[in-house]
Amino acid sequence: MTSLVTARGVSKHFGSVRAVDDVSFEIDRGRILGLIGPNGAGKTTLLKALLGLTDCEGDLSVLGLDPFRQRKKLMQNICFIADVAVLPRWIKVRQLLDYVEGVHPNFSRKSAETYLTQTQIRPEAKVRELSKGMVTQLHLCIIMAIDAKLLVLDEPTLGLDILFRKEFYANLLNDYFDEERTILVTTHQVEEIENLLTDIMFINDGKILLDSTMDALSDTYVEVMATGEDAQRARGLGPIAETEMFGKSVMLFEGVSREHLEGLGEIRIPSVADLFVAKIKEARK
Amino acid sequence: MIAQLLTLIRREFWEHRSIWVTPLAIGILVTLGVMAMLVFASGFAKELDLAIFGAQNLTGDNERRIGLILFFLGTSWIFLIALAFLIVFYTLDSLYTERKDKSILFWRSLPVTDAETVVSKLLTAVFVLPLIMCAGIFVTHLINLILTSIWVAAKGGAAGALIWGSVPIIDTWLFTLVVVISGAIWMSPFIGWFLLVSAWTKRMPLLVAFMPIIVVPLLEWIVFRTRFFASAVGERNDNLPIFRGMDVEDFFEDKEWMHSIQELRLLEFLDIGKFLTHPETWLGIIVCGLLTTAAIYVRRFRDES
Repeated sequence: MTSLVTARGVSKHFGSVRAVDDVSFEIDRGRILGLIGPNGAGKTTLLKALLGLTDCEGDLSVLGLDPFRQRKKLMQNICFIADVAVLPRWIKVRQLLDYVEGVHPNFSRKSAETYLTQTQIRPEAKVRELSKGMVTQLHLCIIMAIDAKLLVLDEPTLGLDILFRKEFYANLLNDYFDEERTILVTTHQVEEIENLLTDIMFINDGKILLDSTMDALSDTYVEVMATGEDAQRARGLGPIAETEMFGKSVMLFEGVSREHLEGLGEIRIPSVADLFVAKIKEARK
Repeated sequence: MIAQLLTLIRREFWEHRSIWVTPLAIGILVTLGVMAMLVFASGFAKELDLAIFGAQNLTGDNERRIGLILFFLGTSWIFLIALAFLIVFYTLDSLYTERKDKSILFWRSLPVTDAETVVSKLLTAVFVLPLIMCAGIFVTHLINLILTSIWVAAKGGAAGALIWGSVPIIDTWLFTLVVVISGAIWMSPFIGWFLLVSAWTKRMPLLVAFMPIIVVPLLEWIVFRTRFFASAVGERNDNLPIFRGMDVEDFFEDKEWMHSIQELRLLEFLDIGKFLTHPETWLGIIVCGLLTTAAIYVRRFRDES
């Protein structure tokens, strides 16, 4: 079995609001999955269900465990960064390492200290004395020193400047990720991570709009920039979205082969951001 | 399991520095007070020729012993009043701040269950805080005895015989330890209640915790003209069932024992068996357990988003 996460008909209600609405998906080992959705789409609720922080309906299995009922065992093999501001502000870096070492059987203090020496963070510094970027660095150093099978990142770089954001993902990819590890990441800055992803999932109003590998994405979705009659002919092939750019029509096609589109204009692979916007608009029609 | 629990309790020391700063601060204040008293008393050198506890003209060893015990118990009370405040503020803060600063998401990202976290805070409040305060009391006693000895010796008195010879250190310390720990267990339903409020309230935990303790007896009196809640809750503090046939207040008013007892032994006034077999002791522990369980469930099931 290579599936790390299996969800079958998973739902979560808050009163009459369906935050997650009957979703089914699988996440395989050794993948980097981007979970993309607008605010209030149900991303965080879904992650919380995966992490056992909230109960849900349906069948949900993470590492073969029921996340809500076997949370302690699950947390030995899962790490998560909820957002940048969750490390306690009063704690010293050294105390944080002492604590994680004391409660986590898969934590290597030596690794964490090695990662920390590559930063400006002093062991005696308190979290409140660190900049937002340094707090995220610190959190990442701890996470990377835990031998976990699944890493869940919920908007991990929110509010950080571009230098820290780039460094964050570079560290993650170079020092952490391998075939045995799986990363699930949500972010608004999808253009920054789309090159890292192996898989992508769009979520809106609690439902999954798209669940695909990045390779399959470039086979399924094609963008054509066309003008005049070519544009008219392209429109006849049923694009799922159309925008105007520099006097040209940019049309996005789903499941239309390249042969049909060649000759109608410049063909390119759509960016995840463009695809996301098209899918959300399509869903709201 | 034990190692993890010790880590969780260590964490409480890092977060709540008042756990060790409070006894330290009171110890320093008491010591400064004693030093001031020694200097002040030495002004009456004729009446008290070697300053208070070394005074050779106190009428006898028994009186000196009683004087020292009263000094011990008197300084201990300052610590114990501080301990009560410390426990209230610690427990109310313990599950509230982590939600307020959102660090709960970090704590819950590690393999520690909600039950383990809440129980570590309960154990800290019922046992660790009182033990730390007792340690503060004992160290303060020792330092003050040493200071007084030096003072008496400097004045030419036999400090060994006058001070150390008449001090029932172990007796007083064991008495203090037993009363403090049994007192914390006796008051544990309140600790459980404070933990529940701390896990549950969205704001003003102090107000939310004390409001029912004040309002419920008032309502009960207005509606039913009864005082069950007030006597069960409001007066619990006065009824610690560990003292052997005596009331703490009467203890100091009734001077008979001063003359009738040659060698006062505080431990003789304690009846641990009575405490352990008293139904209200166990009722309190059960109530504390139920309230703590409720706090665990609130922490586990509450969705902070």
